[in-house]
Amino acid sequence: MASETNTNAQPIQAAQATVPAVHVSQLVKRYGDMVALDYFDLDVKQGEIFGLLGPNGSGKTTAINCILALLTYDKGTVRVFGEPMTPTSYALKRRIGIVPQNVAVFNELTVTENIDYFCSLYVPKKADRAPLVEEAIEFAGLQDFRKFRPGKLSGGLLRRLNIACGIAHKPDLIFFDEPTVAVDPQSRNAILEGIQKLNKAGATVIYTSHYMEEVEQICDRILIMDHGRHLALGTADELKAMIDTGERITIETLDLTDETLAAVRALAFVIEASYDGRELEVRCRRGEHNLVDLIGVLRTSGANIGHLTSRPPSLNDVFLELTGKALRD
Amino acid sequence: MWSTFIVTLKANLRDKSSLFWLIVFPIALATMFNGVFGNLDQAMSITPVSVAVVEDTNWTNAIGADTLITALSGKSSDTSKTHDDNGTNAVNIDPGVTLLNATKVDSTLQARELVSQGKTDGYLKADDDGRIELTLSDDTVTVANNGTQEAGLDVSLSALDNVLDQYNRTSATVKSVLEDNPTAPITRTFWNGINASMNATKEVTLTNFKPSVMARYYYALMGMACLVAMSYMIHTVTTAQANLSALGIRRTVAPLGRAKQLVAGFLAGWLCSCVCLLVALAYIRYGCGIEVGGREPAAVIAVVVASFMTCAFGTMIGAIPKLTTGVKQGMATAIACSLSLFSGLYGGFAMELSDLISRKAPLLAAINPAQQVTDLFYSLMYYDSYQPFIRTCAILLAMSTVFLAAGVIMLRRQRYEHL
Repeated sequence: MASETNTNAQPIQAAQATVPAVHVSQLVKRYGDMVALDYFDLDVKQGEIFGLLGPNGSGKTTAINCILALLTYDKGTVRVFGEPMTPTSYALKRRIGIVPQNVAVFNELTVTENIDYFCSLYVPKKADRAPLVEEAIEFAGLQDFRKFRPGKLSGGLLRRLNIACGIAHKPDLIFFDEPTVAVDPQSRNAILEGIQKLNKAGATVIYTSHYMEEVEQICDRILIMDHGRHLALGTADELKAMIDTGERITIETLDLTDETLAAVRALAFVIEASYDGRELEVRCRRGEHNLVDLIGVLRTSGANIGHLTSRPPSLNDVFLELTGKALRD
Repeated sequence: MWSTFIVTLKANLRDKSSLFWLIVFPIALATMFNGVFGNLDQAMSITPVSVAVVEDTNWTNAIGADTLITALSGKSSDTSKTHDDNGTNAVNIDPGVTLLNATKVDSTLQARELVSQGKTDGYLKADDDGRIELTLSDDTVTVANNGTQEAGLDVSLSALDNVLDQYNRTSATVKSVLEDNPTAPITRTFWNGINASMNATKEVTLTNFKPSVMARYYYALMGMACLVAMSYMIHTVTTAQANLSALGIRRTVAPLGRAKQLVAGFLAGWLCSCVCLLVALAYIRYGCGIEVGGREPAAVIAVVVASFMTCAFGTMIGAIPKLTTGVKQGMATAIACSLSLFSGLYGGFAMELSDLISRKAPLLAAINPAQQVTDLFYSLMYYDSYQPFIRTCAILLAMSTVFLAAGVIMLRRQRYEHL
C-alpha cells in the first residue's frame, strides 16, 4: 500500500512542478476607452526569477493587480499555481508574498512587531510564527534594529524591512515591485542577493524594475511589455539577439574631420555616430567586423586613435529599441 | 483577526497626533473653560462675609439682633426652632445660606482694629434706635466692585444689605406699632402683617440635578472630542484599502478577508475612542468638577455609545472613494468643528443657535451627531427619567447603522486601479 501511494505521489508532484506559477491568458482590461491590457499573455515557471519590464503606463501594474485579484478584468484568465485567482482564494494567497514599491509598514510599530503582524496574516499561531519572524529579521539583516520604529530607520533599512514583511511567511511566489528605488548601491546589492537567495530556496519571483542592469543580473527570463501588450520574452541574451542594435564603440580622437565623420556615418552597419571634439561614439548594427571596418575608415583618413572601447548591446538598448525613446507619462 | 485588533490598538495608542487631539486637546480646552468661565457659577453664588459684631449696650437692646446674626451665620438658635402641638422641639428651621462669618467684639474700636488688620471685611453695630449698621473696609468695597477678584462677594454683600435693611424696617415698624398699640401683638392680624412684609426667595430644584451654566459647554466639548475620534477609523479604513495605501495593498493580498480586518480595526478604534473619551470625561468630571447628574455609570455608557457612533461615522468617511487620506482627515476635522458650532461649543451665541435649532428645526438637531452626544450628557444631568437618555442613545445607534451601511456599500463597490 505504501509503495503504491509513493508511486502515485511522484507523478502528482511532478505535475504540480510543471504547472506554471502564474498563467495569464488573453487578458483584457479597459479603463473606459483606454485599453490597459490588450490580450496580454504571461507564463511564469515555478522556481524562476521573472522580470517584467515596460515603460510607465505600459500595463505592468495593471497586470500585477489582475494577477493578485485586486482588480477585475474584462476578458481572459488568470491562474496561480494552476488555480483560478479570486479575491477570496485564501489558500492561494497564503502562498503569495508581495513587496510593494512604497514601503508598506506601520510607523507606530517596531521592526519586530511589523514583521510579526504581516506574518500573522498568513501564520496565525504565534508559536509557528516566531521562528519565521526571526528568520526574516536575520535575512534582512535587521538584527540590530528589532526595537526600532520605521521612522528611525535609514532608507535602505526601510526597504529591507519592507522585504522582510513580505517574505516572512515563506511564500512560494513573491512579487517585488521596484524594491530598490532610492537605495544606495550597498543596500541594492544586499537586496538583489537576498532575492536570489529566496529563489534558491524555492520561491518563484516576479520582479519589476526600471533598472535594467538589475533585471539583467538576477532574472532568468524577462518580458518586455508596452501598451498593454507582450512585446518580447526571453533570457537577457535572447532579448539582445532579437534587436538590430549591435555593439556601441567609443573612440578617443582629437582630430576627426567632418569628412571622416561623414565617411563613418556612411558605413552600412552604423546606426548613429556622434563626435564631441574628443570622443567619437558609434552605435552599430549587428555584424562581425564592425570594429575592424570602423578603424579602417579612421586610419584611411589619417585620424589618430587613442583609447577605444566596444560595448555589447545592453538590455537598456533592447528596451529602448522595443519601446521607443519617446518620453512617457 | 486578533493580531489585527492588537496591532491596530497599538498603532492607535502610539499615534501621537490622535492622542493629542483626543486626550490633550479636550483636557486643554476643558482647563481653559474652567479658567475662563469657571468663576461664572461662583460669581452668582453667595460666599460668607467676614464681619465683626460689636456687642455693646445698643446691640444688647436691639431685639432679635443676635438671633438674626446667628441665623445669617448659618447656625440654628433656640429661637429658630418651631414647636409642634405638644410643645416639644420637633423641627429645626433650615438656616439656609451662610451669609456671615461673625466675630464678636466688645467695642467699635476693637471692630475697627480687626478691619484694619484685614481680619474682617467690616463690622456690624447697632445704633441707639436698635438699627443695625454695616460698615465695610475700603478694600472690601474695592474688591466687591471689581467682580473678577473675589467672585460672589458683591452678591453676598448685596444680599446682606438687603437682609439688614429688611430687619431694620421690620424692627422700626414693630416698635412704632407697639408704641401706638401695645396690645397689638396678641392679635393674629399683627403677626400676619409682619410676615406679609417679609419676602424671600427659596431655591427649589425641579430638575434631576442643580443646573450648571457651564456644564453644557463641557458636554459640547465631549461632542467635539467624540467626533475628532473619527480619525481612528479613517486611518483604519485607509490602511486597509489597496487604492489608498501601500499598507492596504499588502493587507488586501493577505489571506485574511478585508471584512475581518475592518471589523478588528473597528473594534480597536472603538476601544481607543472609548478610552480617550473616558479620560476626557474623567478630567471634566473630577478635574473640572462638572457633574453628570450623579449618574457616572450611565455617563460611561454614553461614552461607549458615542464612540461607537463616531467609529461608524469614521468608517463612512474613510470609505469614500477617490479621496486621499489627508482630505478625509481634513473633512473629519471640518465636520467636527462645524457640527460643534451647532451644538453650542463656541460660546453664548452658539448655545443660543443650538437652542434655536432644537426648537425650530428639531430634525436638524436630531441628525447632528455632536448635538446628540451633547444631549446624551445633558439628559443625564437634567432629567429625572432615563427616558431622554435612552432616546438619545437610540438616535445615535440609528445614526451608526446608517453610517456603517453607507460605509460598507462604498467599500464593497470599490475597485483598485493602482498598486
